[in-house]
Amino acid sequence: MLPGIKLPQALQRFIVRVCYPVLAVLLIVTAIPTWESRTSWNTLVFYTILSLVVSFLAIKTPNVVITLNNAVTFSAILLYGTWAGVWCATIESLIIAFLFRSGVSKILANAGQLLSTVWIVGWTHEWLLRTALPPVLADLLLGLLYFAVNTLLCSLGIAYFSKLRTWTVAKSLVKSGTCTYVLVMVLGGIGARLMESHGIASLLPVLVMFLAMRIIFQQYFHNLNRLQQKMDEVRRLNDTILAAMAASIDARDPYTHGHSYRVAYWGRELARALGLAKKEADEVYYGGILHDIGKIGIEDNILKKEGKLSREEYHKIKQHPVIGYHIVKQAGVFPELLPAIRHHHERYDGKGYPDGLSGQEIPLIARILALSDAFDAMVSDRPYRKGVPVEHALQIIRDNAGTQFDQALAEIFVRLVRSYSKEQLEEVFRQSGQTNVKLSEGAS
Amino acid sequence: MSIDIILLSFVIALLRGGRLREVPKFAKLRFLIISLLLQGCSALFPAMGGLFVSLSYLFTLLFFYHNREHEDIRIFMIGWSLNAVTIWANFGKMPLDLEQARKLPYSLEPVINGTDFKHSVLTADSNLPFLADIIYMPFPIARVISIGDLFIMLGAFLLVQRIMNKPISLKGLREGRSYAARN
Repeated sequence: MLPGIKLPQALQRFIVRVCYPVLAVLLIVTAIPTWESRTSWNTLVFYTILSLVVSFLAIKTPNVVITLNNAVTFSAILLYGTWAGVWCATIESLIIAFLFRSGVSKILANAGQLLSTVWIVGWTHEWLLRTALPPVLADLLLGLLYFAVNTLLCSLGIAYFSKLRTWTVAKSLVKSGTCTYVLVMVLGGIGARLMESHGIASLLPVLVMFLAMRIIFQQYFHNLNRLQQKMDEVRRLNDTILAAMAASIDARDPYTHGHSYRVAYWGRELARALGLAKKEADEVYYGGILHDIGKIGIEDNILKKEGKLSREEYHKIKQHPVIGYHIVKQAGVFPELLPAIRHHHERYDGKGYPDGLSGQEIPLIARILALSDAFDAMVSDRPYRKGVPVEHALQIIRDNAGTQFDQALAEIFVRLVRSYSKEQLEEVFRQSGQTNVKLSEGAS
Repeated sequence: MSIDIILLSFVIALLRGGRLREVPKFAKLRFLIISLLLQGCSALFPAMGGLFVSLSYLFTLLFFYHNREHEDIRIFMIGWSLNAVTIWANFGKMPLDLEQARKLPYSLEPVINGTDFKHSVLTADSNLPFLADIIYMPFPIARVISIGDLFIMLGAFLLVQRIMNKPISLKGLREGRSYAARN
């Protein structure tokens, strides 16, 4: 299947709900005559016990649990043929069905994908036997085939039940478990050949090896988990620092209470609407929270002045992006947010401050925040004026798109805010403490 | 049933430091009682034995189903289902492989002449022979068991560990934890 191509829902449903169960039943029924033969019974008993044991020995990584079952099934195919593999897959499906899964359709789909994998690998095995390929190479190829087929058929089932794209599921399965899976398959192949030449006792070193691997993995992931916890702590600390900084910025000016949060909120929403990754959208959010940090360095009498600012005062106010930039830069924290802090007052036509950047020279994060900053400044009440209605503010943004704002961003922003209902808008403002925002002309 | 396995499980649980605290409460215990009564009936009325045994297995399965929240019971269910399917497929009797059974120290007369209420002789005509009693198990008490019995024994072992307050969780084992959380 090619990336981006979505399997039609009906076909997916047909494969998972009909083909898988039918194949499961068919493959078991075709294997029964061989199982019935007295010469097969020792193999069946042996593989039942082996499957039972390995079902509860798994290598657990943060993303996947991988058992040796596939290795056991694979060795059965190599040593005895498809019928033995089908038996192992049946036993594993029974254990999973009774112990782990609920829901008949999922149980049948799981059995179907597993048995189909066994059948495809078994068939290829028989075909390879007739070629001159050395057995060791053939085993390796079959192990990789087993992995590929199983992953694909499995992701088809998972994609259907969790309503995701098959390709996405397959990619994430491969990303999260490939190496462990391939390791297990190679182990199965080696185990099979060892047993063929040295008998059952040779399974002992294979099992010991697997157990040792399991312990190593456990220790490794235990340490990884501890590291992750530390990282989470640091992240929480970062959030606390950011929140404290935002609070101190807002505390300077009670009229702009919650301004940083709203700028951050709209900035992140716009970033999401642009299709930026979560990490980048979060950066926009934090940039929004910190964008006005430089106002800490502006005197109170200028910041809280009611009425028009003198030329000199206005000049001082215009210093706040640079002051903020230096504060954060010297603190040595959040270097990725520096462009947001320094350039959120740049204009698209180059007439902004402090550096007079224009167009695409202005970092994206700053262009985004310029919009959300201007929007919130317009709709919020200020000491010297009342906030304008939301619709009016959006009109102003449209009028200034291409001059003050990035045209493309402005359009998306206007569409974004318009997609909010009255209640949703009120909720956004209420959560950040601003309650007297006019949503349209006349309404308050 | 396999008294020796159960005893052995108790010994292991004791060695693991387990002590009997309280007897677990089972839901729908009446299904189990009905099942036992049906087995009794099959011994009393051999002519209808097959039907009684088949029904008895159904009621035991129902009993397990209602107690399925426990892992050990789920393992029981796997084994019991495998045995039940074999018994149903062979009209109420579990085929016994004489080749293996001859190693046993006791007489097979009732099985051979058809008076045993639960077992029959495994022949070429038996259905699902690989799920019948075909495994000779010399220890602790010599017997011939089926693949389903392997699961039942594991289930019995786990059940005893749980009763003795030292549960072993198979799901936990799979996830890398050795023991189940104490109740």
